[in-house]
Amino acid sequence: MTGVLLYCFNTESYRYDKIAAKTIPLLRQHLGLEITVVTNNETRVHLPEQEGVNYMVIENQTGNYINQKSWHNLDRHRAYELSPYEKTILLDIDYFCYSDYLLTLANTDQDFMVHDKVHDVTGNDSYKFARNSMIPMVWATVIVFKKTPRAMAIFDMVKYIKERYSYFCDLYRIDFQNFRNDYAFAIALHQLGGFKGYETIPNRLPTLPAAARVTEVSATHVSWNHQGRHGKIANNDLHVIDKGVQNV
Amino acid sequence: MDVNQLKDISDRSYRIAVNKKNALEKARSSMLLAYSGHLFQANAETINLVQVLKNKLKKFVVLDSNQNPMMVEDPDDLLERLITKQQEALNIYHQSYADSTSKG
Repeated sequence: MTGVLLYCFNTESYRYDKIAAKTIPLLRQHLGLEITVVTNNETRVHLPEQEGVNYMVIENQTGNYINQKSWHNLDRHRAYELSPYEKTILLDIDYFCYSDYLLTLANTDQDFMVHDKVHDVTGNDSYKFARNSMIPMVWATVIVFKKTPRAMAIFDMVKYIKERYSYFCDLYRIDFQNFRNDYAFAIALHQLGGFKGYETIPNRLPTLPAAARVTEVSATHVSWNHQGRHGKIANNDLHVIDKGVQNV
Repeated sequence: MDVNQLKDISDRSYRIAVNKKNALEKARSSMLLAYSGHLFQANAETINLVQVLKNKLKKFVVLDSNQNPMMVEDPDDLLERLITKQQEALNIYHQSYADSTSKG
């Protein structure tokens, strides 16, 4: 069985349950798959019962920060053990699904896939991390995996890296000292791939950068303002970084 | 033409360029075909390759998007799916492009 796995932990600064309220119906509509949301007790009370959506309450690890704000991203490596599905589409909660594109990715024999390329929908090509580390970054926003020994090894490796993250940051000269799953998965894939590369999702991850302010989310599109310009993208999956989307 | 008109033209060109880039990226994503457990980009190169090999061979091997080999047992079926996938994606791109250039 194929299903979607999401993580949703509110922080002092952001109500991720409000983002989930926008993204989960889109996932249900376009993928038609069962969804499991990994959450904690504090967030669970804000998440409504919905058909086709299960909740799994855990005690999430805390202590990571981004821009001086709490960032609850330390449990992603547990996706392998937490997922009830044989094949899992693991997504960030701020992934807005407007197509069945993810079903195509799930319909393959590959046991682990991530994006290694991103597409900035504002047209500014703002994601250039080539000089921020000695290793190409991957995007842990979308991970499609099967329950295989190799996939399990990748998640175990991410756990190992997480526990020694500052060492791996030094080893790979990663500029971002706070824990990032993007780099943890990149390192795990690099190491377990025998330092010779790994298979990726062939397309680029459509992303709206943090500097763009979302102005509208509808059943068909997302609109934003960025540097004084208005933008809109319709019927296309989109990873939205701006956490202000919770209030739109 | 005053400077505000020139700015409007510039802004319109910017919108068209960004919309075109996003629509093209969407078309590329839509061209992704899952077939017999492999991923293929249903682009001109793949379609032409399958067509050419089909003319010469009953069965043949092609490389998927991650350079993994796949034996094509039914070339007609693969070609049909590739063409359908590509034309679906390009028809949507064509419509988006027309809308974008007409409205700005």
